[in-house]
Amino acid sequence: MSGSVATERRTGVLGSSVPRKEDDRLLQGDGRFTDDVEPARSLHMAVGRCPFPRARIESIDVEAAAAMPGVHQVLTGVDIVARTEPIGVLRPVPGAVQLPFYALAEEFCVFEGQPVVSVVADSRQIAEDAVEAIWIDYEPLAHVTDTLAALEPDAPVIHPDRMESNLLASNPQHRGDAEAVLRDADVVVGDSFQIGRVAPLPMEPRAVVAEWRPGARELTAHVATQVPHLVRMQLAESLRLDEGEVRVITGDVGGGFGLKLGLYPEELLACRHAMDLRRAVKWVEDRLEHFRASTHARESVHEFRIGADADGTFVAMTDLYTTDLGGQNSGFGSAQLSSIVFTGPYRVEDGAVERRVAVTNKTPVGAYRGYGQPEVNLARETLIDRLARRLGRDPYELRLQNLLGADELPWRNAAGALYDSGDYAQCLRMVAEAIDYERLRAAGRGPGEDGRYRGVGFTCFVERTGYASAKFLANRGSRYGAHESVTLRANRSGGIDLYTGVSTFGQSNETAFAQICAEVHGIDFDAIRVHAGDTGATPLNTGAFASRTLIAGSGAVREAAQELRDKTLRIAAGQLSVEVEDLEVVDGAVVSRTDPDKRVTLADLHRAAIIGQGLPADEQPGLEATAHFEPTDAAYAYGSAAAVVAVDAETGEFEIERFVLAHDSGRIVNPGAVEGQVRGALAQGFGAALTEELRYEPQSGQLVNGTMLDYFVPTASDLPAVELLHTEVPSPVTPFGVRGVGETGTIPPGAAIANAICDALAEYGVEISSLPITPELVWRAIRKAGNGGESREG
Amino acid sequence: MDELIEITVTVNGTVHREQVSPRMHVADFLRRGLGLTGTHVGCEQGVCGMCTILLDGDAVKSCLMLAPQLDGREVRTVESLAEGGELAPVQRAFKEAHGLQCGFCTPGFLMTATALKESGRSLDREEIRDELSGVICRCTGYEGIVNAVDRVLNGDAVGVEDER
Repeated sequence: MSGSVATERRTGVLGSSVPRKEDDRLLQGDGRFTDDVEPARSLHMAVGRCPFPRARIESIDVEAAAAMPGVHQVLTGVDIVARTEPIGVLRPVPGAVQLPFYALAEEFCVFEGQPVVSVVADSRQIAEDAVEAIWIDYEPLAHVTDTLAALEPDAPVIHPDRMESNLLASNPQHRGDAEAVLRDADVVVGDSFQIGRVAPLPMEPRAVVAEWRPGARELTAHVATQVPHLVRMQLAESLRLDEGEVRVITGDVGGGFGLKLGLYPEELLACRHAMDLRRAVKWVEDRLEHFRASTHARESVHEFRIGADADGTFVAMTDLYTTDLGGQNSGFGSAQLSSIVFTGPYRVEDGAVERRVAVTNKTPVGAYRGYGQPEVNLARETLIDRLARRLGRDPYELRLQNLLGADELPWRNAAGALYDSGDYAQCLRMVAEAIDYERLRAAGRGPGEDGRYRGVGFTCFVERTGYASAKFLANRGSRYGAHESVTLRANRSGGIDLYTGVSTFGQSNETAFAQICAEVHGIDFDAIRVHAGDTGATPLNTGAFASRTLIAGSGAVREAAQELRDKTLRIAAGQLSVEVEDLEVVDGAVVSRTDPDKRVTLADLHRAAIIGQGLPADEQPGLEATAHFEPTDAAYAYGSAAAVVAVDAETGEFEIERFVLAHDSGRIVNPGAVEGQVRGALAQGFGAALTEELRYEPQSGQLVNGTMLDYFVPTASDLPAVELLHTEVPSPVTPFGVRGVGETGTIPPGAAIANAICDALAEYGVEISSLPITPELVWRAIRKAGNGGESREG
Repeated sequence: MDELIEITVTVNGTVHREQVSPRMHVADFLRRGLGLTGTHVGCEQGVCGMCTILLDGDAVKSCLMLAPQLDGREVRTVESLAEGGELAPVQRAFKEAHGLQCGFCTPGFLMTATALKESGRSLDREEIRDELSGVICRCTGYEGIVNAVDRVLNGDAVGVEDER
């Protein structure tokens, strides 16, 4: 990699809230989302889905549907099993048996909404009518939807041909002897925490448009995805094509949040149909399908324990947790990051964590912003407050006592994660000061004049952002790397075309990459054009997930911009007869620092390089640079939050009066974009903490609230006011000192709100151990506490 | 198949006479019939608000109306806002206030904000939040959107971080 960036802060564009490159087209209705693409004479696909949580397909009669006017093709599982390979898993569960899945069920269905037949017709309407005309005989089979019940000995085994139980895998990690330390600890607190199943719910549903030209052997697939190069790999594998025959184009993507990570069955089906029919085939997911066939997230049960000395020093933590995979694999599968951050930002030597993966008859679970970190944060942080109450300590003081100090970093936690740098206590002090914690404590918990109790809840967290090298990933069987790449190409207008495989779905990546390019090269921000998400035009990369884009991408942009700049200056030095060291890029030209009259425009230099005329004798024609960059380590972002909540002890209703988050994302490239990321993730965190939960009815195994009317996503009027504070401690392990920022906000809401409610109702002895936290849940917790801990439900 | 129905509708200032299917909703008509793909479809259930357009000046969810109902009406979509490549004030406000990220919901918010502006009503931030609650954004947490609409309705109020 190139050395220090001598040009830093030269343009002032890095670190400022420049207007986003993405905005003008999106504001004018000129974004190009996948559904906006419609090749001439396109056909349309509809998918028939299993209505049962588990069933055996006895027969499928497609005759009537296939004969309907306007219907071109019907595919069933038998066709797909014969003519495609199973969809590959990008992030396999370590130690798990393979559960390959095909785009259509062959004989057994394992969740409601699983694709069973697909129809292509002249219009979506005809295709849907034809799906209705297909007669499928199902034999419903015994099912299980509850995560822990699935692991009971009497549970029906969902994949009896491959598994002896529904436990897919068990991944323990530990340091020291946590069990022994807990036995000797002065005090141990522990509980079981249930985290609800939620939908990431990007506003743009999934979509695909597939075209195949057999003579050219070229499949072009427009796919709404976060990982076009990985989808290309998966399509080639499943369709038995060479990768060179597949081109994936994302265009604009309307939100991802982890849901659009990797190939889904419908995308493969559209491609299969297009190849069979030699016509463009389009499928756009409707929202009812989305709730059943796009990945869900978060659902898990954490058995967490904390041991401490009488003086409050944490001595050990353990977490045995079970994630719910649903009926089969998805590209990423259920959350894996609870393990890596289970001890949080605290000084804990002895720890043990074990992740279990349970298969249930529900929609497959995949990645979602946070990917295990919000879940484990609820368990650990509510237990810290209970520990404080047990010891008669202030929860704020107890946290300060146990937080790792800035001088103790880097620190390797009990799961092996290396926290790089930061001042964790500073963020906690900032939020306490912001809410005037001392005054609130002095004022007491109430009840106040309005009859409500007031409590304060804190939470502290670390967040892993990015990946530590491909070697780390390879050990875990991942089928992708840790690097990012970029190609910069000078154009004759004096601008730079920037090509990246990172698709654009709201992360402001086009803006951030251009800011870094401008900063390093010296070219105007406005003269950079970003081309994102087309595998036919962009260098092979990894993709946008795990808060890793900027961590890896900034290094690639820096190296490529440096290379392009160096060559540009050498050509200019030859033309102007000055030393390279005397030159800089200013206002679209290369100018001599000592003699500003000596200047040549970038447009002239780019033309000279592209044509190959007027170059120094030892320079090759062309002006283009590609760089790949792999960070050496993950960077750990961190923060603290405080919530002030007023609670009605009669009804359980509560109001979040204040919510303050102080966080550190390292060096900030674009403050406006960072704030947007944090606030957006917080909104999703509030949703999962308060109102969002996908509910299955256990007897029928049906999803009971899978529509936008029944699943409560926060609207503009639902969210509490949020106050944001930042620190900016550069990470020593990343280019420019950046840390990832996309997922931070999902982590703290649940724990901070739960702790505030329990603090407000401390005299009742109320405890909260699950998400979402509804008024009903609080009311039940009050009743349970008032009844000596016994639940007394009507 | 379906019998087509002829309608005459003014969309973004242009009069269209079109044959439409009685089962086609307005969002599909605008997107497929007229190629105005700036109006997005998110739930086809009238909840998410991606498809919000102006119908005779009112913000409505175009997935809840059928194309034949447009006969004799006047429609405006997001494509009508900018003139000659110049962003309209409401679009500029969203850009300056970081009121969008993925941009999929943005047309719905822009058309809702346009209707609010044209209503001439004065709204405080809480009222703005209520008025905007018919459109869902999953990216921004709404703060930038509320700031943008506040600026559009009430002048230069962007930058208010703490709205308490």
